[in-house]
Amino acid sequence: MNRRQLLATIAAAGTVSGVRAQTLTKASLRLKWLPQTQFAGFYIAKARGYYAAEGIDLTINPGGPNLLTENLVATGADTFGLSGGTDSVFAARDKGLPIVCVGVAHQVTPFVYVTRADGPVKTLADFRGKTVTTWFTGANYVLLGMLAQAGIKPADLTLQPQQVSMTPFIEGQSDVATATVYNEYYQLMTRMGADKLRRFVPEDYGVTFPRDTVITSEAVIKDKPDLVGGFLRASIRGWRDALRDPKAGVDTVMAIAPTLDRIAQEFMLTEAGKLMVAGQGAKEGLLWIDQAAVKSAHDFLLKYEVLKKPVDLAAAYNRSFLDAIPAADRLA
Amino acid sequence: MRQAGALLRLVLGLMAAAAVWEAAVLLFGIRPAYLPRLSTILAAIASTPGAYLDGFLRTLAETSIGFAAGALVGVANGVAFFRWPLLRDMLFPIFVVSQTIPVIAFGALVVLWFGNTLLAKAVIAFYLTFFPVTVNTLLGLQSVNPHQVALLRSFGATGRSLMLRLQLPTALPQIFVALRLGASLSLVGAIVGEWFGDTTGLGVLLLQAMYTENVVGLWAAILCAAVLGTGFYAAVAAAERHLVFWSAEQ
Repeated sequence: MNRRQLLATIAAAGTVSGVRAQTLTKASLRLKWLPQTQFAGFYIAKARGYYAAEGIDLTINPGGPNLLTENLVATGADTFGLSGGTDSVFAARDKGLPIVCVGVAHQVTPFVYVTRADGPVKTLADFRGKTVTTWFTGANYVLLGMLAQAGIKPADLTLQPQQVSMTPFIEGQSDVATATVYNEYYQLMTRMGADKLRRFVPEDYGVTFPRDTVITSEAVIKDKPDLVGGFLRASIRGWRDALRDPKAGVDTVMAIAPTLDRIAQEFMLTEAGKLMVAGQGAKEGLLWIDQAAVKSAHDFLLKYEVLKKPVDLAAAYNRSFLDAIPAADRLA
Repeated sequence: MRQAGALLRLVLGLMAAAAVWEAAVLLFGIRPAYLPRLSTILAAIASTPGAYLDGFLRTLAETSIGFAAGALVGVANGVAFFRWPLLRDMLFPIFVVSQTIPVIAFGALVVLWFGNTLLAKAVIAFYLTFFPVTVNTLLGLQSVNPHQVALLRSFGATGRSLMLRLQLPTALPQIFVALRLGASLSLVGAIVGEWFGDTTGLGVLLLQAMYTENVVGLWAAILCAAVLGTGFYAAVAAAERHLVFWSAEQ
């Protein structure tokens, strides 16, 4: 029993309401954000008892704006995490956090750079001298890498941190904004119209950043390897259900967060699904770790000196648990 | 009768404000992205009443637990610091340091220690409440007229009865100033606590609406938080009127 559990137990003393099945192993999954269909597969797997069938009593903990999933998993506060992406896994390993990536949800970069279709930015070269907003949590490096190919240096444009709201871009305060294809792009589409937007996709410029990484700690892998395998099997089962029956996926999430916008959530699930079966995901299945893509993202960050020294990729990315699942069971 | 009249005036005031809100949005053509109509916001709450009710009750529970603990510990601290100046000299600086830590930094630690429990949010509400109560209790106790203390002592009063019959009642108006402040702060604490990963609560609704640019949902959550905050403040103020009936400051 670790310290957090001890404190929580003390806190819960006196409010114990029921007896849990003794055979299930308790575990938790920390998401990168609040409940939304980006995580539908995990919620379906939980609702349909897939984790319980693997002997896991899983608690799904939502993320928040100030939580770092890597830290919570490294300290043992959470067993598993759906963390930022390959970039945040590198950063955590670079800092010496004992976390390991055991699966990757989004096989390709989930965000694009958006500009007005009738605006002055037609090609990458037009970024020169413009105001561009992006997230300084990884998307900024992808952008700088793309621009470097067009011979544009960081000093050639005004790069600003992007706030939560897309309104500044819609009102013309910036020329280019960053948008995930499953969330911000939907907002832009509904408020401006898809035909009013031009997209710059990192993959078109040879840059790929797989994101939404499934992580756990070195300690869990060492002490409870069966737990990791069972968690991945159940999660993939849940994701297959969510992608085959999106309505059930949206319903499950909306039951937890009823104030969400259903149409936006349907869009999000569709787009998240596309990201999950893109690239190697189509052939190898859900949550696949495309080692070539991981290495290319790693080398890219090394080249631009975001990473000061190479990360041991074999230690940071462990595909053995996915390899143990029959390929037919992994496919969406 | 007077209370009924006051209530009527309050309701009339609220209705007038609601009418001005609704009319202003329509008349001046304010875009919904800036300020939606009040009726739209109320309709949004009515369409998923369960989510808002659950959120309201959850945040209320976190706020009340944090506030109650903060009030009790704050008064106890104040009394202890008053009784034992050595303790005050040793601990008070640490308390001050604790309050200079931004609550947002503290929140991440609370999640590590307590997980996503209701208790974690109550702890943050507590953290924001106990300090002002400590300071004001101490100030209130120190402001007791020494002649009154000497008089009671000459009648053979013990330290305990001095505290209960003279010092604490005298400090009560000061303590309530802090409690009214704490009523608002504990709500802030509970809502900030909910930003560290939770599924229920007004803070969660706020966050979700903010990041999906759901302006109506944002206002709906703000409205619920305002009702909760005002109600809580009113309850503390009512307790003050009842307990500190002699005080002029209301």
